[in-house]
Amino acid sequence: MLHLLKIDLKKMTSYRTFWVIGGLYFLTLGLGAASGMEFLKWLARTFEDFGQKLNINRIPLYHFPDVWLNLIWSAGLLKIVLGVLIVISVTNEYTYRTLRQNVIDGLSRAEFLTSKILTNLLLSLISVAMIFVIGLITGMIYSPSLEIGQMITDLEFFPAYFLELFFFLSFALMLGILIQRAGLTIIVLLLFPAIEGIIAAKVDNYAPWLIPYFPMRSIWYLIEWPFPRYAFQEIQDYVKLSSAIIVIVWTALFNYFSYLKLKRADI
Amino acid sequence: MEAVLSIKNLTKNFGRIKAVNNLSLEVKPGQVFGMLGPNGSGKTTTLGMLMGVVNPTGGEFTWFGEEPTHHVRKKIGAVLEHPIFYPYLSGQKNLELNAMIKQCPEANIPKVLELVELLDRKDDKYKTYSLGMKQRLAIASALLNDPTVLILDEPTNGLDPMGIAEIRELIKKIAANGKTIILASHLLDEVQKVCTHFAVLKKGNLVHYGPVDEVGKGEETVEVLAEVENFNELLLSFAGTSSINRENGSYQVAMRDGFHSKDLNKFLFEKGVVASHLITRKKTLEKQFIEILASS
Repeated sequence: MLHLLKIDLKKMTSYRTFWVIGGLYFLTLGLGAASGMEFLKWLARTFEDFGQKLNINRIPLYHFPDVWLNLIWSAGLLKIVLGVLIVISVTNEYTYRTLRQNVIDGLSRAEFLTSKILTNLLLSLISVAMIFVIGLITGMIYSPSLEIGQMITDLEFFPAYFLELFFFLSFALMLGILIQRAGLTIIVLLLFPAIEGIIAAKVDNYAPWLIPYFPMRSIWYLIEWPFPRYAFQEIQDYVKLSSAIIVIVWTALFNYFSYLKLKRADI
Repeated sequence: MEAVLSIKNLTKNFGRIKAVNNLSLEVKPGQVFGMLGPNGSGKTTTLGMLMGVVNPTGGEFTWFGEEPTHHVRKKIGAVLEHPIFYPYLSGQKNLELNAMIKQCPEANIPKVLELVELLDRKDDKYKTYSLGMKQRLAIASALLNDPTVLILDEPTNGLDPMGIAEIRELIKKIAANGKTIILASHLLDEVQKVCTHFAVLKKGNLVHYGPVDEVGKGEETVEVLAEVENFNELLLSFAGTSSINRENGSYQVAMRDGFHSKDLNKFLFEKGVVASHLITRKKTLEKQFIEILASS
């Protein structure tokens, strides 16, 4: 297994685009996550312009345990960047025809797919670790008191965040294998949530119970938008098992479709 | 001796087109096996099936008597169609990657790079290589795991005469080490120069299969010229002449069975004629190939 991961990393680590996109992703992730206070200050200034007062200390954006879900939800928006990276990595294998040569050289098709899936796992894990570290640091800076009970609350969102990323990267990988062209794949990847949204809106009129099973909806329900809680609204502050199961099933299906396509195709 | 490769009734259809039709053949150890055929005759499709990138519609094949798996492919070195590498990686890095895939030691890399004379360009990116260098890197990569079988598909395609000669020398050098080579080509001259056996494909069908040596057998043609009058009639009066053709100012004499150029030479000498030009022409693979294709 490790051997296969090393093969894929060898392909990626000498590829400049990989470092540019990967670097930008982690930079934006870090900067974005750390700049929530700046956002609050801006919000407070805007309120003042309207003659209102906003006590930003009463919005515990970075307080344990709020910081976990706030960061995880926001970081989830950036997963599209990693998705594009994966699309480029797999469609390159088609445009350079290196997939063909890899197989000729003695890699099985399943091993090829495994090497890509392992990279997806690794990138997901790195993102999770990064958000955990940022959350820990900012939480320690801004939380008024450090109680261990508060700190470990909501940590279940990390496995959920990992699922979200791995789900999305599996989806990107599958699209790349099915479409094989970078540009078109990226467009489909970007448009898919919108297309699904339109279909879901139609389906909602007839069979609303189906909505949670839509793939992009399933991750939306897995980690819900946390900020309404600062406007005195109830939010889902736990991971619903049913949502997690739907996401896991979709992830397995995406990778299985990739496998079927790879196995049957003449490459 | 056990066959390196044994193919039984291998078939591949692309829709209604039969790219390879019921192909059966065997390649024995140590052979340099030429696969001939016009463009689109199914050579590359056949090799693609043998290397696991094209799924056969029907039939089967074994490598070294084993079922074909990706493990078996690691023992084979193959370049199909044209060289394929990661353009943004250097030659060295590409070979390192190949070594990881083939699970062979990286220590082999300098050896093969030296063989194909690419050592001094190994750290340059693949995309900066000339076509000849790309072809040579592909051969280096195929040799990386010290394979017992080497498959080359049109290895001299698009090369200049120098490059062609270099690759041909390289193939001979490799064949001399006792490796089995399967060489697909439409350059007949090339196959005749390096191959021991050959097969001819036409529209996916195997139309001929045999040793290259036999190509030269059969009737002999002697090209002869002498500065005497009525030389034509003199040649006709020779008992060994089956027919005469005038070509490029000299006479092409097709000999009857059992007669050779030395008999003709002796005959002329006895008649008091000294030939100024006398060459024995064996049938070329090219001629035979065209005959095979025409008769099938």
